[in-house]
Amino acid sequence: MQKLTDLRFIIGLFFSLSGVVLLGTYFAIEQTNHPQMNLYAGGVMLLFGLFMLLMFARGDAADA
Amino acid sequence: MHLALPDYLIILLYFAVVLTVGFMIKYKIKTTNDFLMSSRSVPLWITSLAFISANLGAQEVIGMAASGAKYGIMTSHFYWLGAIPAMVFLGIFMMPFYYGSRARSVPEYLALRFDDKTRSLNAVAFAVMTIFSSGISLYALALLMKIILGWSFEFSVFMAAGIVLIYTFLGGLTSAVYNEVLQFFLIVLGIAPVVFIGLHEAGGWSGIARNLPDNMLHTWKNMGSVNDNPMGVNGWGMAMGLGFVMSFGYWCTDFLVVQRAMIARNMSAARRTPIIASFPKMLMPFIVIAPGLIAMALTNAHADFSLPLKPDGRTDFDMALPSLIAHYYPSGLLGVGVTALLASFMSGMAGNVTAFNTVFTFDIYQAHIKKDGTDEHYLLVGKLATVFGILASIGTAYLTAGFNNLNDFLQLVFSFVNGPLFATFLLGMFWKRTTGHGAFWGLLLGTVFAGIFHGVTVAEGKGGWLGLNIYEFHSGMGQAFGVATVAWVCCFVFSILVSLLTKPKEEKELEGLVYSLTPRLKDPKNPVYLAIAMIILGIILNLLFF
Repeated sequence: MQKLTDLRFIIGLFFSLSGVVLLGTYFAIEQTNHPQMNLYAGGVMLLFGLFMLLMFARGDAADA
Repeated sequence: MHLALPDYLIILLYFAVVLTVGFMIKYKIKTTNDFLMSSRSVPLWITSLAFISANLGAQEVIGMAASGAKYGIMTSHFYWLGAIPAMVFLGIFMMPFYYGSRARSVPEYLALRFDDKTRSLNAVAFAVMTIFSSGISLYALALLMKIILGWSFEFSVFMAAGIVLIYTFLGGLTSAVYNEVLQFFLIVLGIAPVVFIGLHEAGGWSGIARNLPDNMLHTWKNMGSVNDNPMGVNGWGMAMGLGFVMSFGYWCTDFLVVQRAMIARNMSAARRTPIIASFPKMLMPFIVIAPGLIAMALTNAHADFSLPLKPDGRTDFDMALPSLIAHYYPSGLLGVGVTALLASFMSGMAGNVTAFNTVFTFDIYQAHIKKDGTDEHYLLVGKLATVFGILASIGTAYLTAGFNNLNDFLQLVFSFVNGPLFATFLLGMFWKRTTGHGAFWGLLLGTVFAGIFHGVTVAEGKGGWLGLNIYEFHSGMGQAFGVATVAWVCCFVFSILVSLLTKPKEEKELEGLVYSLTPRLKDPKNPVYLAIAMIILGIILNLLFF
């Protein structure tokens, strides 16, 4: 539980999943209104989410 | 605007995460200290982001975009002239007293430095203000969701209030702070794409510059006279009213934000919290003000986007950001944008409620109703205050919906109350001769004279309620700066006069509370150099957009 309440894990999980949803939307749904923004924003969110998860995995509990 | 499945997925994911945070942190909450003060154990990077996030509510996100559309780059004075120096001042000069005195709240510092009546005056005013602020945030959220998504007013109010209630009731301040940090990243990543798309659509910065009047493109160039800029304020009014009184009054004395620094692990981290926070803060205009400029430029360029109009035919500046999101975001990203707006409202509401429950428990209940209760008792009171705060916010939201001018009226009252407060703290921390009577009467008379000043001046058809009109301001913003300045000056003068006529506290009682009677800190991580760097960066931004 202590590990799961690490904010880096919470943020990392949220943005990784949000990034996946945006990338999935880009590849699965055809849209006319700036569809490439889902690709860019989804990519950035996924990278940011993974970065936070990496920080969580490497960091010590004092920074949680 | 219609949401599709990916949009609902993002919104539901966000709700699931914020609620999960509350349920997980619940197990860490054992004492009043855990619930209301996070046991003063929150890491620096979290306190720093929460410090600006607590302020990143609806007024900031929607209001600053609206001001960007109405006044242009001058709106950035709220950041580069106001917030940055004030946050640096808080970290260097004021935090040692807040944190070092071990006060649990800003009103409690007033009790230690002055007396109980000054504490009570501040605590009651702050408690009422936070409830109304929270309710107004809820009202604005419900109104926005009704306009852009067609959600019913009741659904939005109870959905947002219910979620905030669950995570603040379960996890207390820690839960609110954790969610504020998540909300910060969500707001930045959710709104930044609108700036990229908008810049592209407007033809870059040169396209924006072509379609906006010159006086909307500079921070200082047109401030020689009130007639030369859309805000109707000159350089002196801006520097004194916004740069000094309003900004220092808010960032240095409002417990809502100061509380985030007070829960840091140690004095050094508490001091660095607002200074580190000032860096992302100075970049926020590129996220929250730029959409307003873009919306106005696109409207003037007669592109396929234009700002909506109000029923009376005037431009609805408040819709600058929501209408850009609705117009340009594809499904998926639209869900992120809507969630970012929801997050900003909920962040503002949770911040107000967690500040309210602390002040109510320590400064009203413990100070006046039950002084010798057990820790379990105060924990229960803190939790009940959270529930009451949410219910009262819902009531206030309905009250605001029923009275068209209530929001304007309350914002005005807030400025009367907040305006003089910084004078009280400035004198209290840096002049040992200031007395409790001086502080109390200074605050009270500063507020009264601010009200009178508003009653004899007019701006955009508002004010002048005393039937006299000794001066007409060019804008409501200019009048607000004037009112705040009068409040501050009156509080300052009356505090000094009454203090000189009354008996001060013994010097030994003021150690650790007043600058001249407190030993200088020996901090190996001295934040002064960091503070200087932030001020220099702020000056550079002012010069870049001069």
